[in-house]
Amino acid sequence: MKYLIMCEGPNELEVIRILLENDMLLISENELLGLTPYHARQIATAGQVKAELNIYPGEVTVLRIGDTQSEKLRIPQEYTDKIVDVKKYCTKPELEMLLIIAEGLTSEYEKVKSSMKPKTFAKQHIRCGRKKYDNSTAFYRDYFGENPKMLAESIREYRRRNGSHKNDEGYLAELLK
Amino acid sequence: MKLLRVKTSHFKNCRDDFTIDFVAQSKKTAEDKEYELQEIADSLYVFNTAAFIGKNASGKTTAIELLDCCYSILGDFRLEGKKYSYENITLEMIFYHENYIYRYRTVLHEDSALGNKAIFSNQTLERKKYAKTSIKNIYEDDQFKPVSGIGILPEDTSIVFFVLKKKETRAVYFDSNGEGTDTYQLLFKAMKSYSISGEYLTNIIKIFDETIRGLECIDDHNYRLIYQDKEQVLSDKELIYLLSSGTTKGLLLYILVVASLQNGFDLLIDEVENHFHKTLVENMISLYKDKTVNRKNATLIFTTHYCEVLDLFNRQDNIWISKSDGQVYLSNMYKDYNVRPELLKSRQFYNNAFQTSVNYDELMNLKRKLKKVQES
Repeated sequence: MKYLIMCEGPNELEVIRILLENDMLLISENELLGLTPYHARQIATAGQVKAELNIYPGEVTVLRIGDTQSEKLRIPQEYTDKIVDVKKYCTKPELEMLLIIAEGLTSEYEKVKSSMKPKTFAKQHIRCGRKKYDNSTAFYRDYFGENPKMLAESIREYRRRNGSHKNDEGYLAELLK
Repeated sequence: MKLLRVKTSHFKNCRDDFTIDFVAQSKKTAEDKEYELQEIADSLYVFNTAAFIGKNASGKTTAIELLDCCYSILGDFRLEGKKYSYENITLEMIFYHENYIYRYRTVLHEDSALGNKAIFSNQTLERKKYAKTSIKNIYEDDQFKPVSGIGILPEDTSIVFFVLKKKETRAVYFDSNGEGTDTYQLLFKAMKSYSISGEYLTNIIKIFDETIRGLECIDDHNYRLIYQDKEQVLSDKELIYLLSSGTTKGLLLYILVVASLQNGFDLLIDEVENHFHKTLVENMISLYKDKTVNRKNATLIFTTHYCEVLDLFNRQDNIWISKSDGQVYLSNMYKDYNVRPELLKSRQFYNNAFQTSVNYDELMNLKRKLKKVQES
């Protein structure tokens, strides 16, 4: 059995890559389909995911990583036997919550959350060195790459502060060692 | 250095201005940037994989031979030993190299005095600084200025030498004919040239035959095949009989895949399905799309009849359909057809959306004849 990690966006993928590189996930690279996590929303439109599914002869569990993930994962007919389970792991409402937590700005954000998305708040308040948050993958690498423990701690803190996920929505913290 | 576009006339039986353009044309999604494309300069994207598909005798091999011709000139500054006539071929190559876009033009001729070599005439070499803002007009004439410092070279040597300077493999062409028993010599030569360790060969052999532990070269025609519990010294003729010609081709091709990925040169494969199981073709494609493996911007370019493989392509602008009406021409799936991206490409081929179907009536004519023979 292999795990297919499908990240909704490139920033989620970067976060997972940082955790994998630092051996912080319960799953190792060797247990991943094609030895890597993917940026893919749907299987049908992800050629690279299809190639790796075609190559691997065994069963696969899909782990979807994203924010709210309201879009249902459609499994193409040719993979319905191969894909035995699909699990969702969310950081709601947006991945930037991890940056806000890491900066200790959660209570500041709480005051404006009804009118401002985490992404906008992060762009206004969060910097890495002299660089402002710009929604880029490079920013996540610069910010958490040197300090993966801070990333793991933010993920755990997110779960402590957000106990209201629906039943089918897991927490990224569940994937941490 | 990366080839962006080639335009030719009088190349084999191609139509005039036969063009292959490797710069990404259609919308680039974040997923495409991760898997389908390589950013060779700020916002300048070319493909990780590209394919030519078409009926038999439609000109797929011609297209890939044209690319091999370009890469030979860009890598060796010469063109020799090819199976086609060089006479009067006009070439325009546009390539990116160290922040500049270069435009090289020449007319080739044959000179029997030089053996099977091309001579370069009417050469011009111009360049312009690459600018992200003018990416839409990357090929347009304005701003191209002649490269200075072009000296005199022998007529069988191209002036691209003055820019690229060092001979370097820009691409390797793996044709569909195979090299028979010479394959093993080529394989070990490639391993030496590209500094590929024996561990890779052992790993690759095991993909094809799990009982084999290694293959060593004794001399040009004799090899040691190592199993878990025994060793055999075999001549190349004995070895190809034992391993099969398919496995032998596969070993060389996979070694070239390793060399291409490690050194960042392109790999051209004619009729990829001729050599391998579909899974191995899919594996090769996935290696070129994975940036943790393909770190040096190598591109896999292949011809195929195998339209299912194209379902692994997320884009359409890196797929060309070759056709022939006496002369060979190419259509680009993105530019020349209006295919909804969510539709399976293979299904479109079977529905004859690109006029590539095998002639059904002629197939049935053959079947009718066979039935008649049986009846009589």
